[in-house]
Amino acid sequence: MSPRSSRIRNVFEPLDSSLVTKMWQERFGISEQAFSGCKFFRKARSIWAISDVDLPALSYEAIGMRIMNCKDRPWKPTTSALQIFGQYATKNIIHLNQEEAMVFLEGGSQAIESKCENGYVVVFYRGDVLGCGLYSHGKLVSQIPKERRMASTVKGAECEA
Amino acid sequence: MYMDCLDRYREIVPDYVGFRAIQSLPLYNSARINTLKIEREKLLERLEEEGVLFRSFEWYPLGLKLDIESPGKLLENLLGFIHIQEELSMVPPLVLDPQPGECVLDLCASPGSKTTQISQMMENRGIVIANEPSLARVAPLRSNCERLGVLNVAVTRYDGRNFPRGPFDRVLVDAPCSSEGRERRGPGVLSRCSRERSLDLGVLQLSLLRNALRLTKPGGIVVYSTCTYAPEENELVVQEVLEDAEDLRLEKVSIAGLQECPGITEWNGKRLNDALSCTARYYPHINDTGGFYVAKIIKN
Repeated sequence: MSPRSSRIRNVFEPLDSSLVTKMWQERFGISEQAFSGCKFFRKARSIWAISDVDLPALSYEAIGMRIMNCKDRPWKPTTSALQIFGQYATKNIIHLNQEEAMVFLEGGSQAIESKCENGYVVVFYRGDVLGCGLYSHGKLVSQIPKERRMASTVKGAECEA
Repeated sequence: MYMDCLDRYREIVPDYVGFRAIQSLPLYNSARINTLKIEREKLLERLEEEGVLFRSFEWYPLGLKLDIESPGKLLENLLGFIHIQEELSMVPPLVLDPQPGECVLDLCASPGSKTTQISQMMENRGIVIANEPSLARVAPLRSNCERLGVLNVAVTRYDGRNFPRGPFDRVLVDAPCSSEGRERRGPGVLSRCSRERSLDLGVLQLSLLRNALRLTKPGGIVVYSTCTYAPEENELVVQEVLEDAEDLRLEKVSIAGLQECPGITEWNGKRLNDALSCTARYYPHINDTGGFYVAKIIKN
């Protein structure tokens, strides 16, 4: 079954690994070894990755990490997933300088020259993956979730122990 | 004055005057290095480069005291290289001592500081079930797991008293409590504390701990922790479960470099189980921390 199947069910369904790894290979050149030790589930239009163990028979709210959203075309990787798997990307990568990185971390858009294909890209700064960006016709739009942006960290980020 | 709810601990807290005096001193900021995303040495180098002043805990190399006003704003925090966490909150996972590949339950998980520490101790292998009944509290739990790059945690939303099935190798019950030990972090906590409130919480805590023990494999380990001084929420809860079953024993809680006081064995003139001295009380004036209670129970 395709991960973009129109059948929407609000339960976690196991998903064939090769389906998922092929998508990451095509867009980012990430080899399937990067995902070894993981298995995948689909819930509605999201795909989740978790360590490859037998899950106890429970009713789950979340299974591992939500790694991609297949609601729209093209599919969108989450910033959390790129921070783990994006380091293995070999294409559709953008490296930012300090000034550009700050704009990106604040959730902004900016003109960036790149040979990337249009679409979602892995954004790096000083060798670290910052997260997901949307690149289109020379413009990079930050896809960092609001609660993880630079400006919003004054409140909320310091959760209690 | 609200701090008078501490008065009833006059007889059990060593250097009671020092204990009272430190309550009004704010706690320093601290963080845990997230080894799922960065090596300790690399993180320390980064902080040095950025001119952030820090000091490692004496008892835990992954714990850092940070001399900075808003550590949450650090890029290292946004990228999940560190997690802002109170010093003593790092103790229960160390006592639990989860191993890679095991099946572990964190019964009262949000906001996930201990969950994610357990996950990193397990090197993202095996499985941690992070249970949190409140939908509102699931959001910070999930967000912390995702930011910290955790891949071995699944979230459930059961009432912990009725969490349906195991079995688990290890269970952490970091129980909802009156939080008296958090006064230095959030002044005013003590205004909501009283013996009556502790007695009410004790009923909930006992149900949680009983269920945790039911869900644990023979030979498995349950760690029970609170951030309060109230015996009604600590030793008295543990004593009840020890009376319930003969197959339980307490193991001494002790962390090298961090000074604990033994759990009390007498309260209000009543003798308690002597084994409770194996449990640990951490007081704020002894290690310059918050306050915590930790018990380690082995199910034979």
